[in-house]
Amino acid sequence: MDALDKLGISWQLLLSQIINFGLLMVILQQLLYKPVLNMIEQRKQRIAEGLEQADKASNAAAEAEAEKQAILEEARREAQEVRAQATRDAERIAQDVRGRADQEAQEIRMKAQADAEAQTAAVMADARKQIADLAIAATEQILGRELANRDEQERFVADYLAQQNGSGS
Amino acid sequence: MNLLRAFLSNSRLRNATIGIIVLLVLSVVPFFKAPPPHVELAAEALLEHGPKWFTNGLLTTLLVDLIIILMAVFAVSRMKEVPGAWQNIVEMLVEGMWNLTQSIAGHGSANSRKFFPWVITIFIFVLVSNYIGLLPGFGSIGIYHSGAESHAQAELGNRLAMAGAESVAAAPAEEGKPVLVPLFRSPSADLNMTLALALISVFMTQFFGVQALGLRYFTKFFKNPFKDGMGAVVAFFELIAEISKIISFSFRLFGNIFAGEVVLLVMAFLVTFLLPSIFYGLELFIGFIQALVFMLLTLAFFTMATVSHDDHH
Repeated sequence: MDALDKLGISWQLLLSQIINFGLLMVILQQLLYKPVLNMIEQRKQRIAEGLEQADKASNAAAEAEAEKQAILEEARREAQEVRAQATRDAERIAQDVRGRADQEAQEIRMKAQADAEAQTAAVMADARKQIADLAIAATEQILGRELANRDEQERFVADYLAQQNGSGS
Repeated sequence: MNLLRAFLSNSRLRNATIGIIVLLVLSVVPFFKAPPPHVELAAEALLEHGPKWFTNGLLTTLLVDLIIILMAVFAVSRMKEVPGAWQNIVEMLVEGMWNLTQSIAGHGSANSRKFFPWVITIFIFVLVSNYIGLLPGFGSIGIYHSGAESHAQAELGNRLAMAGAESVAAAPAEEGKPVLVPLFRSPSADLNMTLALALISVFMTQFFGVQALGLRYFTKFFKNPFKDGMGAVVAFFELIAEISKIISFSFRLFGNIFAGEVVLLVMAFLVTFLLPSIFYGLELFIGFIQALVFMLLTLAFFTMATVSHDDHH
């Protein structure tokens, strides 16, 4: 015990140091270790969350971009289709119109031709009839009347023509 | 000659050299001479007629507690997700120790969580204790104890202590000569503290061992000599080793820090200026290493105690 005394060791001081350490540990455990480790853990989670969210955001952005591209592509394709359709329609309509016009023109022409033919035929028939009439009349008049002189003949033709004119058309 | 001229033209080098020379010259001027080191192995009672237990070591222990708690409060009181400078340093310390504990006791294991408060408290407490002894004023500010002497005689003793510098081989504490009792003493240089920590460390080793393995833990130390003679001898040595851990723990820390302080005193006594600065750097290093060693050994012993040694039989 004398040696311990020389080294300054006493059980009271030893005990006080042990208690001191115990108290310090408990205090620091509550005051320092727990809050700090919690904070570090919390921060770690925050960082992980942040990274995850950033990942998600960039994924979403990429998806949106892809979607945009798809929509644009679709729109472009549709526009193309619409244009092609329109062109096709226009061509078809033009063809229709042209066809109809051709047909009408043909009809008109044919009708005109038919009319003309009919008229011609009617005129011809009429003319033939008149010629026959004239011929008959002329023959009758030649046969029925004696033309004595020139003046009388001329007057007779003029009369005939005047008569023809009057009865003609 | 060229070298000398180059040397003189470099103002920083020149000034430094002049400073060193001046300090060395001043060191031999009697007025600046440090007193011969007063080496006391035990922590001394502060009050001459007061209680014996109120030692400078105890006072400094309380101071260390206060400093540690204040630093902790300062770091934690306004804790933010984005840490300030001080909070950052403290977090680094705690996280570093936590990772170190986990790397030895197992990542995320229950053992890590159990051991952590013990070992980190040892580290912080020992580190601050070691460093506080290096502050100026430790060992030099104190109270003169003069026995039955009067105040005037104490004053005389003061002058004697100053004069003692001249007679290098000052007689060891003449009868009646007043003695300076330092107000502060590093707790690590007080065997009560180191022994207390050693006892805690070794006791908790047994505690964690029993907690992990039950009474089977003690088969490490006691074996039936009739069944396993060699094993019993080995176990006996284990027991001796376990007990000697108390001594090695306590005297390793005490010896390093106490010797460091003595070295500083002796160096200051030999050459007042410059020389002690070099040893201050050394002491800073030793203070850190000793705190780390105490902590790591404790952690290693804790971990070893929780592992069964019967498995490979």
